[in-house]
Amino acid sequence: MTQLANSPKEHLLVHAERARERVKELKESPVPVIYVGCATCGRAAGALETIAGFEEVLKDNGIEARIEKVGCLGHCYAEPLVIIQNPGFPALLYQKIGAGEAGILVRSFLKDGSDPCYEYLIGALETDENFPTLMDYPRYLYENRVVMEHCGLIDPDEIDHYLAVGGYLSLAQGLEKGGEWVLEEVKSANLRGRGGAGFPAGRKWEIARKVEKTPKLVICNGDEGDPGAYMDRTLLESNPHQVLEGLALAALAVGAERALLYIRAEYPLAVEIMERAIVQARGKNLLGANILGSGFSLEVSVFKGSGAFVCGEETALIESLVGNRGMPQPRPPYPAVAGLDGLPTVINNVKTLSTVPTIIRHGHQWFRSIGTEESPGTAIFSVVGEVEYPGLVEVPMGVTLEHLVVDVCGGIKDGKELKAVQIGGPSGGCLPASLMETVIDFDSLKTVGAMMGSGGLVVMNEDTCMVEVARYFTDFTQGESCGNCTFCRIGTRHLRDILHSITIGEGKMEELTDLEEISEAVIKGSLCSLGKTAPNPVLTTLRFFRDEYIAHIEEKRCPAKMCRPLIAFYIDLEPCARGCDACVACCPTDAIFTTSNRKKAIDQEKCVKCGECVYACPPEYDAVRRVSPPEMIPDQGVEPLPDTEKEKEESK
Amino acid sequence: MLDQLLAALNETERAAVDEEEYQILQAVVDELPAFSHEVSQLIPILQEIQGKHGYLPRLALDMVADHVQTTIGKVYGIATFYNQFRFNPPGRNPIKVCLGTACHVKGGEILLENFERRLQIKVGETSDDREYSLERVACIGCCALAPAVVVGEKVEAYVTPSKVEGIITEIEVRNEMAAREQAKNDATSE
Amino acid sequence: MSDNLVTITVDDQKITAPVGSYLLPACLENDIYIPNLCFLEGMDDPPASCRLCLVDIEGEAVPVASCRYRIFAGMVVTTDSEEILKLRQLAFRLLVSTNDGSCRTCIANHGCELQKIAKFLHQPLKTKRLRHIDREYPELVDNHPFLVYEPKKCVLCGRCVHVCGQLEKGYKLDFANRGMDTIVSFFSSDSDPASHDCETCLACTEVCPVGALSSKVKWTSFVAELEMKSAQKHKGGQG
Ligand SMILES: Cc1cc2nc3c(=O)[nH]c(=O)nc-3n(C[C@H](O)[C@H](O)[C@H](O)COP(=O)(O)O)c2cc1C
Ligand code: SF4
Ligand code: SF4
Ligand code: SF4
Ligand code: SF4
Ligand code: SF4
Ligand code: FES
Ligand code: FES
Ligand code: FES
Repeated sequence: MTQLANSPKEHLLVHAERARERVKELKESPVPVIYVGCATCGRAAGALETIAGFEEVLKDNGIEARIEKVGCLGHCYAEPLVIIQNPGFPALLYQKIGAGEAGILVRSFLKDGSDPCYEYLIGALETDENFPTLMDYPRYLYENRVVMEHCGLIDPDEIDHYLAVGGYLSLAQGLEKGGEWVLEEVKSANLRGRGGAGFPAGRKWEIARKVEKTPKLVICNGDEGDPGAYMDRTLLESNPHQVLEGLALAALAVGAERALLYIRAEYPLAVEIMERAIVQARGKNLLGANILGSGFSLEVSVFKGSGAFVCGEETALIESLVGNRGMPQPRPPYPAVAGLDGLPTVINNVKTLSTVPTIIRHGHQWFRSIGTEESPGTAIFSVVGEVEYPGLVEVPMGVTLEHLVVDVCGGIKDGKELKAVQIGGPSGGCLPASLMETVIDFDSLKTVGAMMGSGGLVVMNEDTCMVEVARYFTDFTQGESCGNCTFCRIGTRHLRDILHSITIGEGKMEELTDLEEISEAVIKGSLCSLGKTAPNPVLTTLRFFRDEYIAHIEEKRCPAKMCRPLIAFYIDLEPCARGCDACVACCPTDAIFTTSNRKKAIDQEKCVKCGECVYACPPEYDAVRRVSPPEMIPDQGVEPLPDTEKEKEESK
Repeated sequence: MLDQLLAALNETERAAVDEEEYQILQAVVDELPAFSHEVSQLIPILQEIQGKHGYLPRLALDMVADHVQTTIGKVYGIATFYNQFRFNPPGRNPIKVCLGTACHVKGGEILLENFERRLQIKVGETSDDREYSLERVACIGCCALAPAVVVGEKVEAYVTPSKVEGIITEIEVRNEMAAREQAKNDATSE
Repeated sequence: MSDNLVTITVDDQKITAPVGSYLLPACLENDIYIPNLCFLEGMDDPPASCRLCLVDIEGEAVPVASCRYRIFAGMVVTTDSEEILKLRQLAFRLLVSTNDGSCRTCIANHGCELQKIAKFLHQPLKTKRLRHIDREYPELVDNHPFLVYEPKKCVLCGRCVHVCGQLEKGYKLDFANRGMDTIVSFFSSDSDPASHDCETCLACTEVCPVGALSSKVKWTSFVAELEMKSAQKHKGGQG
């Protein structure tokens, strides 16, 4: 620290200064700026069409405006999301803006400058007396955005956007104070791995740091294989530089010279964005040789994972890196001691690494003031299913499930009853409504048989069958088993087969014991955590929803009326409207026919139980019924309309 | 190298390599030198080939094995281990039905059945005319719009069984219009 | 390293073995039988896949596979606790639940490891309680000039893949697919000169613990003999 003028921080401040200038220009732009959420989710919802819509209408009306692509805010229910910064107004967030709405916004808000289109408005980003602000909504109020702070607000393709909000400052600070200091900070913060198991990141780093072999390697695990979770992808796509900064800090703490981002190939946009981000960071000497003049060097590259869930497991991940089949290996040795090519290899989840810069920036005490003693910090969940506001939420650890589902995500849709939440993806468990007071942290969830896991959270109402949910997850894991060990390869297959037979009404009571026995053996006897956690959905549903299993087996009845072989649809002739044909048109198998009194009925032989007619039938008639078991269809004395009558009708 | 490989095939196998596949293989011969010969390049190479050509022809695997100096067994073992790789050409309109958790709960399976019924192909197959292929995928990240289906590049949100018909009809209409356009052009140019 | 002998306790018996070597072979050498299918002497990283060799080790929270657990001084091993026995029995039942074919017509009859383990674990060779899982495999793969593979008998132990890989021009067979679909595949044909090494080698057929992989010559004559016997019996029955 002899030459202060050339310290990493000074170097960085030069970049940051320039970045702030550029961003200021944008924020104080004399013409309107339109920010459109263009992460994968936004695109799926039509964000690119929205942009095209804006461009066209702007051009037609001769209005000058800037369009900026930003990442994802995590408010999936409201996509495509648009923020409009119109001079003279606060920045306003709009929801569900398709190409059509884009046109309306341009014409009424940008052209005439008068009408901010309240009908699409969520609120102003900052407090403002004329507009509701985001903080007026529980969803924003209760969330605590630490890791996702800038997601959806900055352009992931512009390193300056990140620099302008203090990006890479933590890295500069780390470079000045040294890897040992970074390690101590993260250890004191008690940052636990967000990839599932919750192993303390600092401890892992320390182990690798102490091993003498070099070169060491740090890997960011972005394989995200849980079939219902996407927060890692969102972080990679929305704030790539934060991930890179965390990765660089981890490398610094460990003493690694090489870092890898392992991202699944199904995430092409994330790969693209990360690759660009690496180039930009290297261009500013924030990665590469002699970073910010500190003497510390780090080469970062991207490896595309080929879509095997098991490769998220760290030893399998390493196998796939060397060009092998992704078969997990027994641990020890742990990768931190002997990983890729036998060298110390630290593997951390995207969320874990993204958290690191915030800890370095604000200090470990600050971090420990969030969350709980044993699980400090925040948890990010992708909440899907039957809640009012599904999406990505970041809440402090230690809140209850009830709070997350009801307060933050708006509770159950359509005034229905909450039945269960499945938390932790395929390795997690299903918790009943009675356990909604359970606190969200690594240890509490384990005590009730679930897991933080990947952070996938599915909220289910009375219409979801728990046996079917268990079957779904077991089907997934058995299909993703690498096939090495007997218990996992064959055991999970038996579990799935038994569950399947229960859902089609062919289960036997004694098979419930088999389910338990096999589950326990798979947990105890499997080699890796895929097998060791695969039975969790089975065991938790058996524990909390045994009555549903029994109903399927003994009464051939699916209480949620979801398992198709155990249900049937019929049309209640009473409310069915004569002459209405709504259901007929929707039926994919032409199963609906006209009765002799010109109402409708379902030919059970032809019906494939898709449930479409339930939705097609106009709510004022609401005549289609769903029953379980199928024998519950009442005898209404249905007669088809004779052919002669039909012809008469047609000729009319 | 390609000719050598072809020569090693028996007659039925050789006959199965059509013009299109031959072209692909020829291209692969040109693409391979861009990669180093390390085994760790295996997966990236396979990804590249599939990315460019849509699938992995069997002989391409042999060429890759040769390039990284490993056995065909190893290359085949890897290609069949990972979900990403496919061994037959995809349809012009690849349809991917999401069966991730959220979509499953909202009836993704029923959609898949509807596509199977409508297209007369099973999941994992390509129609004979190569117009459609049908796949299942796990979570495409629009769970809030479940159930979702990806048609070509486009994500269809809130798909219902009755929308399936519409999706296919739209493609058919588009094809028909293109064909008519083509015919008109041909007629005028004659 | 191999000279570095230490004493360990296995089921109250003291044995000495090289520190750092794998536990399973040490036990076997000392006549402590632990069922095993997928281990072979000389494997650097045994796949630890069959899970039949699970044992309890003091200090380990869960049972571990002895074939891939390295010996340390003073370790205390239990190979015959009730829990271990139950786990092994279930592993065995799972294995046979996917296997086809009857021993009577199998080329490995009387020499099959599964039969030996069945006896040791007091388990039948056919599943009763568990359903039979029919793996979607062909009955027979005989496109190799010198080898015959019966996938439905294969327990996927990987011994064949391992020994072939040890050879100079090895890996003529390897695993393909994943999970329940995993299968051993040959990668040579009549026209491939490499496969001619197999004619004199046959190493893989010798390590196969079951009747899944055989020399074509032996297999052909075995089948011929079977047919003859059944024809005779048939005749005898008629006469
Ligand atoms: C079957 C399986 C799949 C996994 N998938 C992932 C994944 O997609 N992403 C991830 O970060 N960790 C995954 N893990 C956990 C990793 O093995 C590893 O524990 C984690 O990446 C460590 O990072 P952390 O300490 O930051 O959590 C998976 C584990 C198993 C057993
Ligand atoms: S537990 Fe399953 S995924 Fe893990 S090694 Fe065993 S078979 Fe493979
Ligand atoms: S459930 Fe589906 S198949 Fe059956 S009658 Fe209704 S629309 Fe037709
Ligand atoms: S849509 Fe409803 S009201 Fe109309 S014919 Fe069908 S069942 Fe009757
Ligand atoms: S016979 Fe020898 S060379 Fe041929 S596959 Fe078997 S082990 Fe390999
Ligand atoms: S063929 Fe025999 S040796 Fe090879 S994996 Fe199968 S059972 Fe094991
Ligand atoms: S809004 Fe982007 S992930 Fe849902
Ligand atoms: S589950 Fe279908 S998009 Fe996520
Ligand atoms: S011999 Fe140890 S697991 Fe098979």
